[in-house]
Amino acid sequence: MDAIHYRRWWTPYLWLLPSVLLMLIFVVFPIGIVFRLSFSEISRAGVVGGFVGLDNFIAAVREAAFPTVMWNTLIWVVSVVGLSTLIGFVVALVLNSEFHGRKLARSIVVFPWATSLVVQASIWNYIIKAEYGNLNSLLLNTGLISHAVNWRSSYQVEFIWECGVGIFVTIPFVAFTVLAGLQSIDGAYYEAATVDGAGFWKKLRHVTLPLVRPSLTISTVLNIIYVFNSFPIIYTITKGAPAHKTDTMVTYLYMLAFYEQQKGPATAMSMIGFILLCVVAGLYMAATMRKEAQ
Amino acid sequence: MKKLVSLFLCLALLLSCAAFASAEEDVITLDVIICQYGPNTQDWFLGTGMDGSSFVEKFEAANPGIKLNLEVVSWNDVYTVVSTRISDHNAPDILNIDVFADYANEGLLLPVSDWCPEDLYADFFPSFIEQSRIGDTVWAVPDLASARALYYNVDILNEVGVEVPTTWAELEDVAQQIIDFYDGEIYPWGLDMTTDEGQAAFAYYTWGNGGGFVDAEGNWALNSDENVEAIEFAIGLVNKGYTNPSPATQTRYDLQDMFGAGKLAMVIGPNSIPSYMAQKGYTGINYATAGIPANAGKTSSSVGVMDRVMAFRDDSYPDQAKRNEAIGKFAKFFYDPANYVGWVSMEDFLPAVNSAVAELVAQNPSFEAWLNVLDSAQFYPTTKAEWADVKIGSINAEQQALIGGNVRELLDALQAQITGK
Repeated sequence: MDAIHYRRWWTPYLWLLPSVLLMLIFVVFPIGIVFRLSFSEISRAGVVGGFVGLDNFIAAVREAAFPTVMWNTLIWVVSVVGLSTLIGFVVALVLNSEFHGRKLARSIVVFPWATSLVVQASIWNYIIKAEYGNLNSLLLNTGLISHAVNWRSSYQVEFIWECGVGIFVTIPFVAFTVLAGLQSIDGAYYEAATVDGAGFWKKLRHVTLPLVRPSLTISTVLNIIYVFNSFPIIYTITKGAPAHKTDTMVTYLYMLAFYEQQKGPATAMSMIGFILLCVVAGLYMAATMRKEAQ
Repeated sequence: MKKLVSLFLCLALLLSCAAFASAEEDVITLDVIICQYGPNTQDWFLGTGMDGSSFVEKFEAANPGIKLNLEVVSWNDVYTVVSTRISDHNAPDILNIDVFADYANEGLLLPVSDWCPEDLYADFFPSFIEQSRIGDTVWAVPDLASARALYYNVDILNEVGVEVPTTWAELEDVAQQIIDFYDGEIYPWGLDMTTDEGQAAFAYYTWGNGGGFVDAEGNWALNSDENVEAIEFAIGLVNKGYTNPSPATQTRYDLQDMFGAGKLAMVIGPNSIPSYMAQKGYTGINYATAGIPANAGKTSSSVGVMDRVMAFRDDSYPDQAKRNEAIGKFAKFFYDPANYVGWVSMEDFLPAVNSAVAELVAQNPSFEAWLNVLDSAQFYPTTKAEWADVKIGSINAEQQALIGGNVRELLDALQAQITGK
């Protein structure tokens, strides 16, 4: 009896051990190394020197591009997460309703998510090319335009394209998370609301939204993390050019570390990003959980 | 009895291990990192690209007692790979890369005189060796070079009825005529101000205006009047619509593709463009080369680009003389014309040693013209410790200027950042 009890006591920990070990080796340990490096002097050649206090953090914040990069990161996260959540929610509502070919529509919607981000970004890069891009070819062949249009006429426009691609590839994730939530709603709630005389909007506001909120919270928190850390779209389309005007924090710190070889400020920057992400995601979760509790 | 047999077997095992270890002690293993120059590099060094065998196999057969742990790394990754290995106290023994000043200044490199056999050292083009000298010490040897020239689409220029431009004024005139003739469908001039190689654009225009990265004394002169005028001219080409639309994101390879597709009339490129065009299947383009246009009254100058081979220190190795000798044998084998000629011509580069010239010219007569171009070419000031920052800073200044920044102020700021004044 004692032996069984003993085994029961450690069995869950045994099952958890592989994932805990994986987390320790591939997540916690590297974070620890970056944390230590962010307070160390690192030469351009890669020689790690002594403790330099907050010098790397000060250097990172004083970089001329820092304000632009922070602003871009804010626009990037808010627009991609916000719009993809809004559109994804609508798509989920549509996919949840009964119509002919619903299965086909669901599989088409999942395509952008099932393709690698680098592939997606490269394809969009080709689509909007002025010289031989598909968009120009299509519009020229259909006679809608008579001259090739430069779809990347300024860095602001390029950044908007990048946000657009970000939204496009994020919609399926939101749609399917919300769809899962929608399918778990008991039809009786809607019947009751109909009996009470509620129309589409009232049902949406008072039945669907409150019941789907847990799924929305999960998708939004995960999205904030994914989108903040998203690297391939911006790196593939503009590499942050010109002069870091289209960089977000992640692409910027990559360029800082591996192109400009400023590893000290780059590690400091990644610590800033890590803390920022923890705070934002934490605050959002706390706020939504409090609402749910209420 | 069983115990006795077991003991005997254990002893035999230990002795065989010891014998193996002593045999291993005579073998020296060199860690080598080679940059990937093109599709054939990997195959030549590690596959079957060297007459059915690989460089590593042939070297090890010819040099018993030396093993190569050779890795071919892409240019995108090599800086990260090397700096990470340095951080981990695991630097390669031999490295092929373009930069060297940072490694030399950190005290990580062996002077070339420690490992390079004298006859091989004498074989390098002296002007190339000078590009790797800091003070009295040479820290690296060149592995190959390339030179840049203007490539132009002969058919486009003929159709428009213009000559290939030699001055900036002519360039603007020709560009305008191409725009008018093709109604903007063909870009007259290719410009790459990307983080890939924007420093080359800085060189093309500033050197073509009597300026450059450094002055006659070799001091940084990034904000000279000539440089300001040159960069303003280049940005002017963009603003007047004479270039490809996104010079900050369209790399040299994008430009070469546009040139190959007949969408771009003129582009400055390396001597390897013919093989690039052939590999990519751009066969229908009738093109020729000319000097890079310069400002009126200034001399046109080609840009020479050179990569290097260097040896890292490893103070933990017990027999330094033996290690140096092994590195020397590697270099000797690599630069042996029987091997080196195949390597240089395979990736369409220009040689760095005299002994390879005759055979290369015999193989491809156009090499001679390119060697002459290389002779008069200027090189980046890579021996100066600040070069890495200057390279990044010059590209950043170009990109800022592209979005409306004031060239004078940008170059003043860059000069102040680099010189601390």
